[in-house]
Amino acid sequence: VSEACKITVERRDDIAILFTDGYINNQGGEEIARQAYTQLDAGARALILDLEKTRIVNSIGISILIEVLERVMDRKGVLAFCRLTPTIDKTFRIMGLAQYAAIYPSLDEALKAVAAAPRGEAARNP
Amino acid sequence: MTRTPTEPAAGRAELWKLLSESLRSSPEHPLPRRVVDAALAWSGAREAVLYLRERDAWLPAIATAESAGLVLPEPPPQRPLPSGTALWIPLEAEGEVHGHLGLDGVGSEEQEELASVMATILGSLLGAHRLSRLVKEAEFEVKTRLLELESLYDLGLSLGGQLDIAALGDEVLFRSISLTDAGKGTLVLFDEGGKILFERSLGGELLAADRVASWSLPEGESVINNAAAAVPTAGMRLSACQKCLAVAISVGGRRLGALAVADKESRDGGVLDFTAADARLLSLFANQAAAAIETARLHRAAIEKERIERELELAAAIQREILPRALPEVTGVELAAGNLPTRQVGGDYYDLFPLSRGRLGFLVADVSGKGVPAALLVSTVHAAVHLQIDEARTVVELVARIDRHLRRYAATRKFLTLFFGLLEPETGTLRYVSAGHNPALLLRASGRLERLDSTGVPVGILPNPTWREEIRTMEPGDLLAVYTDGLTEAVDESDREFGLGRLERAVEERRNLPAARLCDEVLGQVADFARGMPQYDDQTLLLVRRT
Repeated sequence: VSEACKITVERRDDIAILFTDGYINNQGGEEIARQAYTQLDAGARALILDLEKTRIVNSIGISILIEVLERVMDRKGVLAFCRLTPTIDKTFRIMGLAQYAAIYPSLDEALKAVAAAPRGEAARNP
Repeated sequence: MTRTPTEPAAGRAELWKLLSESLRSSPEHPLPRRVVDAALAWSGAREAVLYLRERDAWLPAIATAESAGLVLPEPPPQRPLPSGTALWIPLEAEGEVHGHLGLDGVGSEEQEELASVMATILGSLLGAHRLSRLVKEAEFEVKTRLLELESLYDLGLSLGGQLDIAALGDEVLFRSISLTDAGKGTLVLFDEGGKILFERSLGGELLAADRVASWSLPEGESVINNAAAAVPTAGMRLSACQKCLAVAISVGGRRLGALAVADKESRDGGVLDFTAADARLLSLFANQAAAAIETARLHRAAIEKERIERELELAAAIQREILPRALPEVTGVELAAGNLPTRQVGGDYYDLFPLSRGRLGFLVADVSGKGVPAALLVSTVHAAVHLQIDEARTVVELVARIDRHLRRYAATRKFLTLFFGLLEPETGTLRYVSAGHNPALLLRASGRLERLDSTGVPVGILPNPTWREEIRTMEPGDLLAVYTDGLTEAVDESDREFGLGRLERAVEERRNLPAARLCDEVLGQVADFARGMPQYDDQTLLLVRRT
């Protein structure tokens, strides 16, 4: 696990996929938020956060993800997570993130569900 | 929001509703800016400025474009409000001031009254907003505590079955860092011998692994150092962090490692002090880690024990295959033999060889060492004797051939003592070599006892060994007892040995018994002497009586 979280972005039509690599803390969370807002401003309807290469998230990272989620919902968009470690999956469920953002085991499943979700509705949690 | 004409006729309820909607929280439009926009829109003022208090601190002034003149060097409570054209209204709810709103260009009484009503509503809305934020924060805090508890529970579960130290270490380190909101952390684990089992850092190496073992950290207590840079904690890397929290990992007073986290993050990018709650949490993780390491160690010990037991079973199987299943029938000789292998499987071996012209060869050997290596050496000796017995012309030559065979083929550098006898029952001539073996006992029919002492060095121990052949004549009724030191060195609960004297008396007292019964009774007497104490060597007794 690298100390600084790196984000790479892939755009598929109106879906932006953010791949995280590293610790989602204050710095990592801010970087995710920056990239997410850039994508929303550039017309992305849905965001998928692929956390395959992230093994740690702290409470500050979670609070920033909640802010991102609020902004996505404010814009009637969709946010989904995929490829979480069991620990992060449980963390998101306890902290309430999973209430408004669906969690998928694979990127393919997330893409399918998000593509099918109407604007303004959270993709259904599997 | 664009400025709309003031509508003094608007009722309070409607104004409340409209302002509420204006202030609806949105991450894209921060609340202070919305308050200013709403105040400007609904008061009819030309310009507006807002000072808001959040978490007991005043935020920087938020002002409309041309209101520079209204911005004060300090928030209103810190200095008297300026007089003049500006209208300053406190925004308060239930006696608590949430901010101050300055409006410029509010001229008429009607506008002032509207502004005052608006300020009352804004104050209430800010109060409600603040309350809502506090509730959200409290909810987040409760969820965080729940997450901590769940993490400890999960860690306990996963560590209970976790025997991979690397996976275990990662789990402990990652959870410790994330749940204390630390920016970095290090975990060092070592075994009871001080060998490092795991060493990992995230964000920077905090601990000097080679110093952790001697670290003067109080056992079971955590150390909070919120001024790490100024006062380095012993065992920590200097300048690695600003604030740190560390705890020793120990089981029963044995140091098994240390866990340290550093630089607790705040939302604004600063570094917070570690708290007693953080220390408690880290100590709990350290305890979990200690328990898991101990479990892993016990598991390794159990695997090792199982491996040894499998080895012993294998060795015992080898030995069982090698020892003769039945004694040969030889005219003029009465034979008996007994062998009690110990749990640890020593290397006793006896064998009998009916030879040409009615002769009988017999052998008792005791290989050094235990377990599979000893059993394999016995197997090699067994092969050597069976290969060479027909080739050798004398007993000395046979022993020399066994010695050469062992040097050439034995996988391990071990040695053995042996007694080899060659008896011609017809004449009673006994030729023997005792290669460093315990004295065999020749009990004459007359009752006289002779000890047949060693006639050379043990086999496989010296480069150019020599042995001497001795000859005795066994008269009818004479009994020869050849045994291994497992008999004479059998111990009782006081660690006293059975000894040669007891063995001699045991044989003498029963010299008139049939050989098989004599053998059983002597072995039984040794067992009675030991009273169930675990024995460390095989016990073998071979009896040869000329009839």
